[in-house]
Amino acid sequence: MNAVSSSPRGDMPRELDPRPWLELPPPDARAVAAALTTEEPDEAAFVTLVRAEPTRWLEAMAQRAQALTRRQFGRTIQLYAPLYLSNYCSGGCAYCGFAADRDQVRHRLEPDEIERELTALKRLGFEQVLLLTGERTPHAGFDYLLAGVRMAARLFHEVTVEAFPMTVDEYRALAEAGCTGVTIYQETYDPDAYERFHRWGPKRDYAARLDAPSRALSGGVASVGLGALLGLADPLADALALFRHVRVLQQRFWRAAFSVSFPRLRPEAGGFQAPHPVGDRWLAQLIFAFRICLPETTLVLSTREAPAFRDGLAGVGINRMSAGSRTTVGGYDGRAEDTGQFAVSDGRDVTAFCTMLRAHGLDPVFKNWDSAYRSVLSPPSALRAEGGI
Amino acid sequence: MKILLNGEPYETVARFVSELIAEQAPAVRVAAVVNDRVVPAAEQATTALAEGDRVELLTFAGGG
Amino acid sequence: MNQEDDALVLGDHAYTSRLLLGTGKFASADVMARAVAASGVQIVTVALRRFDRDRPDDALLTPLLAMEGVTLMPNTSGARNAEEAIQAARIARELCGSRLVKVEIHPNPRHLMPDPIETYEAARVLAADGWLVMPYIPPDPVLAKRLEEVGCASVMPLGAAIGSGQGLASAELLKIIVREACIPVIVDAGLRAPSQAAAALEMGCDAVLVNTAVADAGDPPAMAAAFAQAVAAGRSARRAGLMPVGQEAQASSPLTTFLQGGERV
Repeated sequence: MNAVSSSPRGDMPRELDPRPWLELPPPDARAVAAALTTEEPDEAAFVTLVRAEPTRWLEAMAQRAQALTRRQFGRTIQLYAPLYLSNYCSGGCAYCGFAADRDQVRHRLEPDEIERELTALKRLGFEQVLLLTGERTPHAGFDYLLAGVRMAARLFHEVTVEAFPMTVDEYRALAEAGCTGVTIYQETYDPDAYERFHRWGPKRDYAARLDAPSRALSGGVASVGLGALLGLADPLADALALFRHVRVLQQRFWRAAFSVSFPRLRPEAGGFQAPHPVGDRWLAQLIFAFRICLPETTLVLSTREAPAFRDGLAGVGINRMSAGSRTTVGGYDGRAEDTGQFAVSDGRDVTAFCTMLRAHGLDPVFKNWDSAYRSVLSPPSALRAEGGI
Repeated sequence: MKILLNGEPYETVARFVSELIAEQAPAVRVAAVVNDRVVPAAEQATTALAEGDRVELLTFAGGG
Repeated sequence: MNQEDDALVLGDHAYTSRLLLGTGKFASADVMARAVAASGVQIVTVALRRFDRDRPDDALLTPLLAMEGVTLMPNTSGARNAEEAIQAARIARELCGSRLVKVEIHPNPRHLMPDPIETYEAARVLAADGWLVMPYIPPDPVLAKRLEEVGCASVMPLGAAIGSGQGLASAELLKIIVREACIPVIVDAGLRAPSQAAAALEMGCDAVLVNTAVADAGDPPAMAAAFAQAVAAGRSARRAGLMPVGQEAQASSPLTTFLQGGERV
């Protein structure tokens, strides 16, 4: 079950390969109705819901998604803030504003600057921070990231990291320094598209990236966030592979927490044309399908999306959101010089965003967990000693 | 020789476990435990009994 | 659907029957043997007891060994802790050579509830030693995953207390175990009626083990056959996909009007 077997298609493990499901005929009404109400959501239900005819089913899916979100998370939305530590990057991602060949002011935050950014976020009320870097470079490698985690862990209850694939030992060191979660998107599960858009650098290694969540969890990181950058390849195939990836990891790492994010490419992002652009309705339908088929998993929506779209999905599938985000290095302290990794569509500040949530009957939650438990209840070394993960 | 067989004192002339089994249960498949050690089936004929040994002879019964 | 490609796999063995039968509490060995034959089961459980000089024949084992395709699965009932269960497994292996063992440790003779801590320890040791361990457990999803991690061949959560005939009292917990497990889930204990066995298979359990429900029936061989049919029906229903439950009412305030404007790509 846990062995990753190779398919004829090179790097895509058979257990993630979406193709058998894509060849099925479009779902009929009976199948959609069954998937909507099933108590045992599986990948068949998921693919049925993603492919359901939207004019007939989208509203029913939204209702079900809202009911299930309330059942699991109540009327709460967790808030987090991304903090870009560095925009140095050795990667050649064709779609990214921080790619090594982009004309971009390169900068990394020094310790005193990190401290200022963290303090600025803390003043806004945040207790969950997501630290980001580019691919590994001499300017911003593992030791730099580790130092950033240590600083953040002194101030924030949850510190998650979205950086580069690491070894199990590196992930373990991050966890011991206070990192509670690792976010790593596969970007696309399609090996051919993956190879095409990752033009050079360590990120060309599809398998090393695909396996990174397992390594993070093996190293004692408590939660992982997965996602696909929708628009790079056939979004239905990527969505299904992503769903299967989550399910496989959930069965294997049954102690861990998981989240799924839904970044989508915009045509305007750095002049890169998304080959498979994804529309609002389709993305909403995808989020509803994920909620219905992964009722206990955290679903995340960032400020890449516009206010009306975010407001409509808050609590309707989505239970974790960023707010007031800056995607520039040094953005919270007002000293950024670069143009950011991607364009923020929702420019509202934290106060305005929380006002909107409350108007929708939702409670913004900044703190979900207290770091005091970190050493008392779940030191990563104790988890390891069980030999379970 | 006096041994303890299935929890009760028992007098036997058997020198080996296999002889005790032949004396007790010629028609039944039994397993032997001598002084808490499971005697492998293949070693029953070569496992000698000694004065005071605690011997358990076990067989299958109905169970769920 | 073809039964051949839908086997119950335990370790390196595949079984077409998804019913397991206990051999206790039957009026006679003859009735037990006829029940086994009538149900077509491929795995039967047996217990260990001290040899009894007053019953010097092998009434139980002889008919079972004569049956084609029946595997004995010794249990460790009577063991009160892990050490005794491990010892029982080793004794049983000398009797029948089987690597299958049902680890069953219930220290309290009144309710016969399995001891999860001792069961885990015995399963861990026996699995590491190469046994196909089938632990009888409370319906605890975490315990089930922990047993999977130490290499058990299946988990056997109880439907209800042994011999109680209360059916699938643990249904909601069984569903979680089924959803999370990567090894077969076999409902063991508590069933009374074949319909309950069918329900267990419908909800995704891989097999059921019954004993009292057959042994205490008016006509045990006929009841054993009925359980076999129910298990097959439940499995077929599971594979066929049940119809959806009734539609939920549509809430009055729509949630998707924000998507009806111009499509933003």
